[in-house]
Amino acid sequence: MGTPRNGPWLKWLLGGVAAGVVLMGVLAYAMTTTDQRPFCASCHIMQEAAVTQKMGTHANLSCNDCHAPHNLLVKLPFKAQEGLRDVVGNIMGHDIPRPLSLRTRDVVNANCKACHTQTNINVASMDAKPYCVDCHKGVAHMRMKPISTRTVAYE
Amino acid sequence: MNKRIVTTALASAMLLGVVLLSGCQDVSTELKAPKYKTGIAETETRMSAFKGQFPQQYASYMKNNEDKIMTDYKGSVPYHKNDNVNPLPKGFKHAQPYLKNLWLGYPFMYEYNETRGHTYAIDDFVNIDRINRFAADGKGNLPATCWNCKTPKMMEWVAQYGDKFWSMDVNEFRAKDKISAHDETIGCANCHDPATMELRLYSEPLKDWLKRSGKDWQKMSRNEKRTLVCAQCHVEYYFTHKDNGPAAKPVFPWDNGFNPEDMYQYYKGHGAKGPDGRPGPFADWVHAASKVPMIKMQHPEYETFQDGPHGAAGVSCADCHMQYVREDGKKISSHWMTSPMKDPEMRACRQCHADKTGEYLRQRVLYTQQKTFDQLLKAQEMSVKAHEAVRLANAYEGHRAANYEALMAEARDMVRKGQLFWDYVSAENSVGFHNPAKALDTLMTSMECSQKAVDLATEATDFGIAPALAGDIKKLVPPILTLSRKLQQDPEFLKQNPWTKLLPALPKAEQVWEGQNRLTSQAGQDK
Repeated sequence: MGTPRNGPWLKWLLGGVAAGVVLMGVLAYAMTTTDQRPFCASCHIMQEAAVTQKMGTHANLSCNDCHAPHNLLVKLPFKAQEGLRDVVGNIMGHDIPRPLSLRTRDVVNANCKACHTQTNINVASMDAKPYCVDCHKGVAHMRMKPISTRTVAYE
Repeated sequence: MNKRIVTTALASAMLLGVVLLSGCQDVSTELKAPKYKTGIAETETRMSAFKGQFPQQYASYMKNNEDKIMTDYKGSVPYHKNDNVNPLPKGFKHAQPYLKNLWLGYPFMYEYNETRGHTYAIDDFVNIDRINRFAADGKGNLPATCWNCKTPKMMEWVAQYGDKFWSMDVNEFRAKDKISAHDETIGCANCHDPATMELRLYSEPLKDWLKRSGKDWQKMSRNEKRTLVCAQCHVEYYFTHKDNGPAAKPVFPWDNGFNPEDMYQYYKGHGAKGPDGRPGPFADWVHAASKVPMIKMQHPEYETFQDGPHGAAGVSCADCHMQYVREDGKKISSHWMTSPMKDPEMRACRQCHADKTGEYLRQRVLYTQQKTFDQLLKAQEMSVKAHEAVRLANAYEGHRAANYEALMAEARDMVRKGQLFWDYVSAENSVGFHNPAKALDTLMTSMECSQKAVDLATEATDFGIAPALAGDIKKLVPPILTLSRKLQQDPEFLKQNPWTKLLPALPKAEQVWEGQNRLTSQAGQDK
């Protein structure tokens, strides 16, 4: 057994840490990129959602700031599953379901509340309806804007 | 060995990064409708010319051939709209029984059916009894203007004949050598420039209106255009009186506004010139029972819709009636222009009302339609009673009020106004949904005017006609269930209903036109 300084054991350790750091960086980068609008909008079925989100007050947020859980451990399986569903939908030519699934609705609602905590604390009528968007409809995706201003053929 | 792992990991990470970066560009909020260079001539009028380049749009347009589905109050089965006695396809539970009475003396009394899709425009036009098919000289006794909303060939004809076209006889253009019923019915070229597929106008009266109101088509938004191409036809119009311009040229009576009161005021002028040289009131026809000069409203969809809840919010016709659909993965505008109610899921509505279910939305539409239709029937009965009151007062020989003439003049005007208002809602194709408040307001005014007409006529006869007007209107003036040009040739038939008795029997004649075919020889009577 050689000195620890020169031993293969240390080499392996350092190499492993370096590879781990790089891998984590890559994964973080991939995770962030695939949360963002440009990535989501590369699917046809997300065009309208992307365009309207960019026109709205939440334009600086990423899609998954709202559409995925913030807790990484919950996010990973959720994102994998929902992402796969969207990819399949895009290939099959199905549009995104409206209204959204209850599961996604709950996630989105929790995210509304996560940012708008103060409103949540200060406004007495916050429980008037189960979901924020029950009243604030069209906040993110402007469903009440004339259709010709948010979508075109062939997108 | 570990070097290879690291290198592989790095390389694949970079590859992934490059793919993610290069494959994804952010969206542009400037929406660009697709542009085309079709190579098709700007003057093309045949639909088949577009089939090769636009197979999906063409296929969806062919869905307009559907003529079997009914919604609760409307639909595409061409039943007789006055027949609430027979079941489909002849009649329908939500028919309006007094239509023939209200149009007595006008070709609309012969035949008025629920409309089928655009693809049937010429088929149904050449088979309708409103155009005379019995005249030995083959003439239809209506102006060629009627073709305006049946075919893009209008552009060709207007270019060829100019303003003389409008007053030519309608039947001069009905034969097969003049027009192809299926290829040149309302189609691509009515709304699209064939060379670029950009939206364009073909309709002279709408182009005239834009000119009159200082609007420039080229500067309009895509959203406005998606409504105005429909407003080329789905509007109220009238034929210019020869004293006021090119005879029978169609005009949209919008100079005072889009509402029934605006049109009622508009039609106080624009008729034959009086002795003072100023145009008198316009009239489409004189009612055969009351002798009142009447106005026939025609499908004012655009006028009704433009200031309704959806119209005021900037929704366009195409948003709901030509919803986006994905066909073979491609997103296109459906060219099946029909009622969103035919879809159980009400997908057209849910493009905006995304949080609602199809059933909820359907019930909301029916909520309006049911209330509108109920009032429509009441307004129609009041209108019949108003005609009957004026008819009785016209012929009344007992003691008349001192101001009989003045009271009767006002009564006749109220008959005219009451029916114009009723027809504004009746002829409109949404049973109130395009503008619920306006529909009910208009029907209320219609009933108010018709009741006034009854009161004034009664007063003019010193209440002498009151006993004759008492009781159920359906017994006093039974609805006319059947009437056609052929039946009007039979004096015995005309005796069956108190109001058909008022019509002159037509001379016996055989049918000269069957669809696009001339049944009799034209020898010796060609122009």
